[in-house]
Amino acid sequence: MRFSTLGRAGLLIALALFAGCRKSASDTAAIKVDLTFAPSPPTVGKISATLTLAGKNNQPLSNVEVRLEGNMNHAGMKPSFADLSEEAPGRYVGTLDFTMGGDWFVLVTARLPDGGRLERKIDVLGVQAR
Amino acid sequence: MSVVREIAAPSNQVATFDLLRVPALGRFLRWRYSRIAFQVPLLFVGMLMVAHAFWGPQLAPKNLAALLTWVHFRGLVVVVILLVGNLFCMACPFMLPRELARRWFHPRWNWPPALRNKWPAIVLFVFVLFVYELCDLWSDPWWTGVLIVGYFVAATVVDALFTGASFCKHVCPVGQFNFLGSALSPLEVAIRDKDVCTHCKTHDCIQGRRDHSGETDMSTLKRLPVIQRGCELELFQPNKVGNLDCTFCLDCVYACPHDNVGIMTRLPAAELTISGTRSGVGIFERRFDLTMLVTVFTFGAVLNAFAMISPVYALEQWAAGVTGLRVEWPILSGIFIVVLVLEPAIILGAAAAVTRWGVATREPILGVVNRFARSLIPIGFGIWLAHYGFHFFTGFLTVIPVAQNAVIQAIGQPLLGEPLWQLSGFSAAIVFPMQVGFMGLGLLGSWIVAAVIARDMSPTRTWSAFAPWAVVHALLFASAYWIMMQPMDMRGTFLGA
Ligand code: SF4
Ligand code: SF4
Ligand SMILES: [Cu+2]
Repeated sequence: MRFSTLGRAGLLIALALFAGCRKSASDTAAIKVDLTFAPSPPTVGKISATLTLAGKNNQPLSNVEVRLEGNMNHAGMKPSFADLSEEAPGRYVGTLDFTMGGDWFVLVTARLPDGGRLERKIDVLGVQAR
Repeated sequence: MSVVREIAAPSNQVATFDLLRVPALGRFLRWRYSRIAFQVPLLFVGMLMVAHAFWGPQLAPKNLAALLTWVHFRGLVVVVILLVGNLFCMACPFMLPRELARRWFHPRWNWPPALRNKWPAIVLFVFVLFVYELCDLWSDPWWTGVLIVGYFVAATVVDALFTGASFCKHVCPVGQFNFLGSALSPLEVAIRDKDVCTHCKTHDCIQGRRDHSGETDMSTLKRLPVIQRGCELELFQPNKVGNLDCTFCLDCVYACPHDNVGIMTRLPAAELTISGTRSGVGIFERRFDLTMLVTVFTFGAVLNAFAMISPVYALEQWAAGVTGLRVEWPILSGIFIVVLVLEPAIILGAAAAVTRWGVATREPILGVVNRFARSLIPIGFGIWLAHYGFHFFTGFLTVIPVAQNAVIQAIGQPLLGEPLWQLSGFSAAIVFPMQVGFMGLGLLGSWIVAAVIARDMSPTRTWSAFAPWAVVHALLFASAYWIMMQPMDMRGTFLGA
């Protein structure tokens, strides 16, 4: 459990101050991002990550440069990065190294063919220690 | 029968090294504003952390408040205490706003007699440990910022209302942590020559120095303005024993007109073998609040490390299944009560009972527990060192990319360069032997201290008095060793995933 209401309020203020005035080039809010791992739930070590990107009407988004950055919730740990490659239209694969068990989050950054940038934070809770 | 040894008088025993006699450094430290010179940079860092906590990214590994608080500050505190002394209290930035506040608010009250002990700090210590687990403070920059600001406010308010260093001595949980830990430090603020104190008339080290220029009537002394205060922690140098309650504020050094106070080397942990009255503390082995503080310090070390491995989630899940509870706080409270109250009561009570039986004494069980309580400090500190040392040594370099990233986010220019995210610290494989070493040293220290206490208690049946406590220390070591062997599993979710 977290005291997240005030935390969120703080986050919103922070976001408003830092990014509030910037407008993104394309409307990325509608893009559907789905990240899965094998094995699932993920375990410690290098495991395969699959990201699917879909735009309006669920049509797959191709030719996107996708990068994943895995971080632990706990500070003081080295992040792991993965550049994904497109395996099928809108489907990107790569390998991400979970160096320790526990709660992670993955930052997805994508450069769209139209020059737009997409950023998402996806929680990956409970990576299993081995 | 208990043997009360002579109060330590370092300069009369062995030739010790005195940090204040080191050429340039000693001169600097004796300068009246040396403490402020340490505090100002830390205040600046603290303000940067607070700003980043509230306006920086709300992702712990990218936020300076979360990183510096939970990795660097905690790690450096224990490492510096082990290698040098209680330098954090010395450089404590929380004391600066308080000094400023005291220019306008002259504290009118004395700290209430009922609270002239460690109970307020014990409650806060447990409260911070509890909130840390419940709210996953390590993963929450915003709440970490609130904690830092709350600390500044609390220190300032308490010391604006109450005289002396009431906050440091009775309230601050970090201070108590440092006081106990610095029993293991190689340095101590102590007198140079006992004879000088014997002939001293003014006792400025505790009274402070007043401006009596042009004043001849000494009966009005108390009303003269203080130009250099004496020890606010109520430690009178010639009778001071060890580092307990000493913040290394150096007021006594600045105040002593005979330049008789130094920062001396001494044998770490040896102060724990000394019984009898200590200035400003009283008799350690008769103070149940100190026993409780040591207990919370030691068992809290195990608990805080235990919360970082998977079995704790299995335990919480099991408790949730049995009780049907879907919220964490009652379950966490249960774990806290078991580990910090019931378990120590049983283990320490049993050890004391066996000691009583072994030496055939009628001393009450609690009396025996109080006597041996301080032997827990070395192993407790060893466990804190192993845990916080782990985070620090595996991640100390991450401050570089996080700071580089913060600069880019704040001003849009990579003034410190592009973030070097590949930097972290030593690998866990290197840090693990260090952890075992820290805990091993702690175990050894605890055994030596307990052996001396046992000898003082019963010179003829020392082994019978000592053995049960040796087992307690070994049990603590074994449980912490087991915890450190487990893969880290740092989760903040309860019944999640
Ligand atoms: S330390 Fe200095 S001021 Fe204090 S009693 Fe000794 S000589 Fe006097
Ligand atoms: S004045 Fe008191 S707390 Fe400060 S250094 Fe001297 S003995 Fe320690
Ligand atoms: Cu930890």
